[in-house]
Amino acid sequence: MSERARDAAARLRAGDTAALARAIRWLEDGDALGASVLREVAGAPERAWRIGVTGPAGAGKSTLVDALITELRRRGQRVGVLAVDPSSPFSGGALLGDRLRMQRHTLDPGVFIRSMATRGRMGGLASATHGAAILVDAAGFDVVLIETVGVGQDELDVAELAHTTVVVSVPGLGDEVQALKAGLFEVADVHALNKADLPGADSAERNLRALLDLETQRREGEPRWAPPLVRTVAARGDGVPALLDACDAHRVHLAASGEGERRAATRAEQLFYALLREQAPQRLLARATDLDRTIAALRAGEIDAFAAAEAVLAGGGLPAL
Amino acid sequence: MSQPPRDRDDLRAHQERWERETRGPHVAAHGERLAEFRTQAMRWPVKPLYTPQDLDETGFDYLRDAGFPGEYPFTRGTSPDGYRTELWRMLQVTGFGTGEDWARRGRYMLEQGLNGLIIEYDLPTTNGLDSDHPLAAGEVCRAGTAIDTLADMEAALDLPFEKLQHLTSVCNGPQPVNLAMILAALEKRGVDPDSFTLQMPNAILIEYTCVGRYIYPPAHGLRVATDVIEYVIRNHPRWVPIAVVSAQLYAARANPVQELAFGFSIAMQYLDAVLARGFAIDEVAPYFSFITGVDMDFFEAVAKLRAYRKIWAKLMRDRYGATKPESLRLRLMASPGTMSLTLQQPLNNIARLGIQMLACALGGGAQTMTSPLHDEAHALPSEEAIAVGAAVQNIVAHETGVADVVDPLGGSYYLEVMTRKIEDAVFAEIEKIDTQGGALRAIETGYFQRALAQEQYDRHRDLESGRRKLVGVNQGAVSGEKRSIELFELDADAERRQIERLQRVRAERDGSAVTRALARVREAAAGTENLVPPILEAVKAYATHGEICEALRDVFGSHHPDSLTTGI
Amino acid sequence: MAKRIRVLLAKLGLDSHTIGVTVIAKALRDAGMEVIYSGLKQTPEMVVRTAIQEDVDVVGLSSLSAAHMSHFSRVLELLRAEGASDKLVLGGGVIPERDAEKLRAMGVAAVFTMGATTTEIIEFIERWWTQREAQ
Repeated sequence: MSERARDAAARLRAGDTAALARAIRWLEDGDALGASVLREVAGAPERAWRIGVTGPAGAGKSTLVDALITELRRRGQRVGVLAVDPSSPFSGGALLGDRLRMQRHTLDPGVFIRSMATRGRMGGLASATHGAAILVDAAGFDVVLIETVGVGQDELDVAELAHTTVVVSVPGLGDEVQALKAGLFEVADVHALNKADLPGADSAERNLRALLDLETQRREGEPRWAPPLVRTVAARGDGVPALLDACDAHRVHLAASGEGERRAATRAEQLFYALLREQAPQRLLARATDLDRTIAALRAGEIDAFAAAEAVLAGGGLPAL
Repeated sequence: MSQPPRDRDDLRAHQERWERETRGPHVAAHGERLAEFRTQAMRWPVKPLYTPQDLDETGFDYLRDAGFPGEYPFTRGTSPDGYRTELWRMLQVTGFGTGEDWARRGRYMLEQGLNGLIIEYDLPTTNGLDSDHPLAAGEVCRAGTAIDTLADMEAALDLPFEKLQHLTSVCNGPQPVNLAMILAALEKRGVDPDSFTLQMPNAILIEYTCVGRYIYPPAHGLRVATDVIEYVIRNHPRWVPIAVVSAQLYAARANPVQELAFGFSIAMQYLDAVLARGFAIDEVAPYFSFITGVDMDFFEAVAKLRAYRKIWAKLMRDRYGATKPESLRLRLMASPGTMSLTLQQPLNNIARLGIQMLACALGGGAQTMTSPLHDEAHALPSEEAIAVGAAVQNIVAHETGVADVVDPLGGSYYLEVMTRKIEDAVFAEIEKIDTQGGALRAIETGYFQRALAQEQYDRHRDLESGRRKLVGVNQGAVSGEKRSIELFELDADAERRQIERLQRVRAERDGSAVTRALARVREAAAGTENLVPPILEAVKAYATHGEICEALRDVFGSHHPDSLTTGI
Repeated sequence: MAKRIRVLLAKLGLDSHTIGVTVIAKALRDAGMEVIYSGLKQTPEMVVRTAIQEDVDVVGLSSLSAAHMSHFSRVLELLRAEGASDKLVLGGGVIPERDAEKLRAMGVAAVFTMGATTTEIIEFIERWWTQREAQ
């Protein structure tokens, strides 16, 4: 197995997108090969800039990502995209349509687009997205664009993964207020007011700026970064260079202020907990001996659930029957 | 209906007694075939019996809701004498091959007694691409006629114009180009453009909603369509520059309420755009026409056609303040729908066509009807199918007597209730679309597309679960039946000949004149002037269809839908 | 974490009839599969690049116009060239039986024409998947 993982990691590092895609699949499926590949590429310094794009449904996130790809390619950057859509809570299946809007970049060898389903994970990303971003980096892409689900209110995970988080709003949906409620405002490094050619754009901008002032006051005492607001019409590419410039300015700020290092430390800790949360139950259960017999006893009322759970948590053994 | 209330109380008592003494015991003893009866598309519950009581419950008022034929609100027909003065015009769709191929088939159809033709274009043409574009490979001259240059349209219009009363040019995205091609070809042939009626769907907003043959982003699509409407009204006032093809919504599985609400909202979007060009409502409303299709649920179909007329009249009068009768009177073309035609047991489709054609006739008020053909589900229509299709129309028209009485189903308690129900639901849905900012916004946000995608899935599940029956498919299916699909034998050479002609035209024309003409098209697109005149000049210079559309793409960009606007 | 079947659905060429593909996309989702829909006007090259980037197990190609033969054979050829011929390739649309036969000989695992039920398609994919996983 480690042979296969090493081989996959080598091909991936050489820029083989089929190997990259397959390794992401292993992560998604919980195949141990995925973790092995991650270990193989671990230790290399982070190279790629990760830009998260989040915001409500209908804000035009996919269209904005499509326009960002175009602009990044114009600047000579190789771009990986991880686009997350929700899995159905009923069937576990998913309809992944984000790349529809980006399909014109498909034949560009400097672009890699991968759709991911949340597979039950809340927070706007899939469990495998973090690992996938590391793999895309290892495959030599300069920028990783991460598009969140965009249906829920609570899509803040992207801020833990991205270096720069872009929050997309759109006139007319009252998103200025919605975003604030959802906590999106607190994680925004850059604001994009998309579809800025729609009626209501000016008043939406005024509302956003008022909220931004409040937010800047709230953050007083922290390293100064006033999240800029950029108006875009992503469908035409308008404002997209300025948006990318704002992201670049944020990158410079992170490096100069030391905030980047602080965030990296927080990110490592958050990833550590996230991995534990995800994998601990499965591992604990895998360690437990005589599970079937215990569950049978539990169902028959011979032992109680509290005692059984406590025993597994305490050391993997099961209570004597 | 104005019966005194005492009679109604009496009726209620009688009906309660009937339910208690007659129907109740019968049902108790024998049960019913189904646990619940519902209409096919709306899935509305169907009661066992409709009586004047049901009319009362819906608030039906004869004069207000039904009225008289030829008078507001036109529920009973737009013509005062129904089909007694003249029958509907009978059309059939045709289109394939090169311009010459189409003209040959068109002449054959006119000889069969049809007096109108519909020209459909192949996919490269409707997508604004020339026949030698890489994406066009294998599609040229297939699903319709290929039009690359004026030379092709000249060949297509080699017709006996003395027999032709009506020509429909089925094209949305590049309609100004096709219009210009037709105008230039008529001029070359020396035919008076006003000797027949040219109808153009020009219904680009429907393409974004469900058909998918769009070119530019929706707002630009609307501008191009508005230019065509304005040009035709000002220059060829006898022609019909806009037909809202709600049949395409219907074919995309819109239920009757969605079809009418989306279709009318789209119509109003065009109407507002045309009014903004400085017309009064009574100058433009009469140009709007509609094309619909009907499904197998007979009463839903008939009620839809009646509600169609009534809602249009109300919208025009109450919302737009139109006063001329021609503004209030709906121009409608109706047709049996292709969506209930089955691949299995294809001859069964002749029965379906007959029943649906009957519904069209009984629904009344469609001035023009067309019929799909029984082998359409699995083949390009054969000549035999064309003859049968024409016969189905004539059998309904001449053998059944339904065309001899105006709105003969009017007054049916069930039908009148259904008509009202559709009307109320359509107005409620239009209001919902209005709150979102109208049809263009509903398209840009994907509201229409998502609603249709859901309906497509639900209807498909109805079929797979057997809730909806289709004979030969999930009822009386012959197991192991070989589903034959034959494609009409096309001249395999057509694509090659088409490309050769295109390249010959390109080689022989004055290249610098074309460049100048295309520059003018770009300039017009960047500004606000009407696009038809500069496009007409480009066509006359033998600029190609694809080149003209590309010039517009340079200015407008292309439409790339996302998952919301795709509806998935 | 459970493995999920990933499916790419694409429309080849200029044909823009989407009802079939929309219905199948939703049905496959409801059967627990992850469906990537890449939209209209796809070329064989785009389909194959997408299939590789998305690491799908199944490629479903829909064509309702007469250009299916050349499109499908090009997709199969490119998949082979990219070393990705382990994917299950399915065809759908209005395809005459004589063409379907040729497509199957070419390597299209099954051709579902009008009238095929989503249940048939789901069962076909699941059977193939079970067999492949067993190996």
